[in-house]
Amino acid sequence: MPDGFDKDVYPEPPRRTPAVEKQTGLPNPADILIKLFQYTVDVPVTTFRDWVEHQHERNRFYYYQQKFRRVPDLTECKLGDHLCNYEAEMQWRRDHKVDQEIVKVIKERLGACQQREGNSYLQNCDKEMNQFRQVSKAYQSRYGDLGAYGSAQKCLMKQKHRMIAERKEATAAED
Amino acid sequence: MVGMSVLRAGAGFAARLNQLKHGFSNGRLLTRTVPKTESAAVRYGSHGKQMFVFKPSDYYDRRFLHLLRYYILLTGIPVAAIITYINVFIGEAELAEIPENYVPEHWEYYKHPITRWIARNLYDPPEKNYEKMMALIEIESEKAEMRRTQMDVRKLMREKGDGPWYHYETMDKSLIDYSPKSTPDN
Repeated sequence: MPDGFDKDVYPEPPRRTPAVEKQTGLPNPADILIKLFQYTVDVPVTTFRDWVEHQHERNRFYYYQQKFRRVPDLTECKLGDHLCNYEAEMQWRRDHKVDQEIVKVIKERLGACQQREGNSYLQNCDKEMNQFRQVSKAYQSRYGDLGAYGSAQKCLMKQKHRMIAERKEATAAED
Repeated sequence: MVGMSVLRAGAGFAARLNQLKHGFSNGRLLTRTVPKTESAAVRYGSHGKQMFVFKPSDYYDRRFLHLLRYYILLTGIPVAAIITYINVFIGEAELAEIPENYVPEHWEYYKHPITRWIARNLYDPPEKNYEKMMALIEIESEKAEMRRTQMDVRKLMREKGDGPWYHYETMDKSLIDYSPKSTPDN
């Protein structure tokens, strides 16, 4: 993985290489092959990559993450205020994209855990599994069946129906 | 073509039969062995007997493939060279935090140098698109509002009849000549 990753979220698995106990005087062919690969493939490729990085170092430039200001929601817009509607819709779309990326990151964490644990992933990956279940359930309840033409208004209506259903359940539970 | 092969087969068969007639008696035809002409092992110093191979023309296919390669590589090679040069010598941007009191330009939100160039020179900034869309929405909403008020005003004026619309100009009352009916004897 590239450099800037969180060591707590993607921990390295414990090393399982055994201590070397050589019982013959003959050289290990695996060592020979590794050295061969290193000198024929690894070293040239690394030197080329370092040269390319050196070329990049000479004129560096940066890119940033765009920060958008928060605008009033759809709930705070007056009825005929189309401009407010448009801004709220754009904000909802940005938030939808961000939520999709969040789900992808959680899914990737689960995949990394499964890769790390190997065959014992079912019992060792509990935390990631629960996190993924929670996040995907939340995503489904908020953005779930809106369809291809989903908009902020449809999402708001879905939330309204959800709250009505919850209220009905609460009153039914009381009775 | 087919006739030629039949004739050749017939000639070969006839040659075998003739050989048999000269050399041996007629009764036991099937048990005789005939020496074949090609069964001796001959090793040539060249590529063997030169054959004139009949096959359909591949001129058009080869011409097509040649032209395809030519026209693809005509722009393909310069484009590949330019993109390689850019990736090796200019390189991609690095992610950084936005410095204090600095508002990045709209192209500084992209990573690859070619994307940045396109965003800088060819595309409009996304803020401009946003504002254009908002301007359109504003114009359309104002138009809709005007049309709605006009509809309401028209309905009310027609109903009540006290507004400037839906009344027709009549003549001045002082111009009316009441003289024909002014006295009871006319």
